[in-house]
Amino acid sequence: MSKIEEVKTKVEAGKSKLVPGLVQEALDEGSAPGEILQAMVDSMGVVGEKFSSGEIFVPEMLIAAKAMSKGVEVLKPLMAGDGSASLGTCIIGTVAGDLHDIGKNLVSMMIESAGFDMVDLGVDVPADTFVQAVKDNTNVKLVACSGLLTTTMPALKEAVATVKAACPDVKVMVGGAPVTPEYAAEVGADGYAPDAGSAAVKAKELATA
Amino acid sequence: MLTKRQNLMEVMKGGSPDRFVKQYEAFALMMKTPITRLKPPVGGSIVNEWGVTLSWPEGQLGSFPVHDKEHIVIKDITKWRDYVKAPNLDYPDEAWATAVADANAVDRNDQYVTVFVAPGLFEHVHYLMSMEEALMAYYEEPEAMHELIDYLVDFELRLAKEFVKHLKPDAVFHHDDWGSQINSFISPAMFEEFFEPAYKKIYGYYKENGVELIIHHSDSFAANLVPSMIEMGIDIWQGVMNTNNIPELIKKYGEKITFMGGIHSGLVDFPTWTPGIVAEYVEKTCEENGKLHFIPSQTSGLPIDSFPGVYDTINKEIDRMSEKMF
Repeated sequence: MSKIEEVKTKVEAGKSKLVPGLVQEALDEGSAPGEILQAMVDSMGVVGEKFSSGEIFVPEMLIAAKAMSKGVEVLKPLMAGDGSASLGTCIIGTVAGDLHDIGKNLVSMMIESAGFDMVDLGVDVPADTFVQAVKDNTNVKLVACSGLLTTTMPALKEAVATVKAACPDVKVMVGGAPVTPEYAAEVGADGYAPDAGSAAVKAKELATA
Repeated sequence: MLTKRQNLMEVMKGGSPDRFVKQYEAFALMMKTPITRLKPPVGGSIVNEWGVTLSWPEGQLGSFPVHDKEHIVIKDITKWRDYVKAPNLDYPDEAWATAVADANAVDRNDQYVTVFVAPGLFEHVHYLMSMEEALMAYYEEPEAMHELIDYLVDFELRLAKEFVKHLKPDAVFHHDDWGSQINSFISPAMFEEFFEPAYKKIYGYYKENGVELIIHHSDSFAANLVPSMIEMGIDIWQGVMNTNNIPELIKKYGEKITFMGGIHSGLVDFPTWTPGIVAEYVEKTCEENGKLHFIPSQTSGLPIDSFPGVYDTINKEIDRMSEKMF
């Protein structure tokens, strides 16, 4: 098995202690940093699919994402300034009045693993703060809004409307337990995903459309 | 007419109940004991008996553990013993007087004297160290996680001993959320390794000491964990959401475990709820899941509502369905 294949396998298996060494070995073998990064992104794609289908659970996804981030640490100094490696910036947050962050954190981790630069605004984020973050950051392609409570769905609607009005070029996606595809369409979101694995796929689709 | 307790027994054994069990009606919850866990007031925060900072911001439906660097209890799982210290459970008899009076006031022919335990082991672990860190540690530091869980089991056994000694409960209502609405948080295999033996000890202790009913709350998907629930000794899974295929679960496991829920609180208990919405969901769940091995109930884990009137309206609608179906 080539080193790059080994990196792929170990990221998928969540071996965060082994991945940095293997990434270094792949580099030493002559693989390009971009190629290694792409291999890890592909692994996380597989992880996301397995999570969405129920084959794996949250811990397996978390350790895989951790393994990838350890690998990325090795690549980062070699890729500084190489914008082509990024799919763009994604602003993410849980909407105003809602303090749930576990689902949002998982989605953030998976979107990052798909190749985005993440700006995580945390929880209880007012609609205007999403807009301000779009203005404060470069190359923002996507805003991802999370809401877990039926009671905070109006805040989700407001966040989508505010971002769409202020930043028409930026795509907005929504998710969270009470959110349905119908609701996402009704509030004018560009995309919806039912879980963290599909959120990464949807983010990529929206940013590259 | 059967008493509430008799009617529940008939539902559980697949016998001849004379009406639906109305949510929590058969359980007299003992909430005023000296060892009932502390909760923050709405709009406030506390440091609980384990050192966990809990905050209940205004306008939220529940409290949250605070997990920033300053507040998180377990800063390194391999050194959990340095951070975790179980609280005192020794209280004089006088401290139990209110709870004993509450238990004595219950007609045990009609209701179960039910002690309440929350959070359970899985939640307790992530209260202490955050969800993400806990979930990764099951893989990365399994030995330490087993030790921590053993420590919590030991605490729960001492807690159970106190409940049994002072209140001689007929039932225990034990909370521990094991999933989101679409899946369990951890795989059945991981659950079987870390939590099944732990709960088997706790629930086994209650059963050996005169407790007839184990009711476990997890308002989530957890269909894949039902075999473990049965193995642990759970009699009623409260909180079963309809993202689980409840009719199929009843068919497959109803002889061994009863399912309580089917009415997703998020869909009926919200600011603009109406009696019509409640009626629709109650009717649907009663018709879909039937009269045996099933208790129609909101999925939330206490007989209260977030928006006034919802809980009583669900009860009223269950009465209507009893008239229609029995």
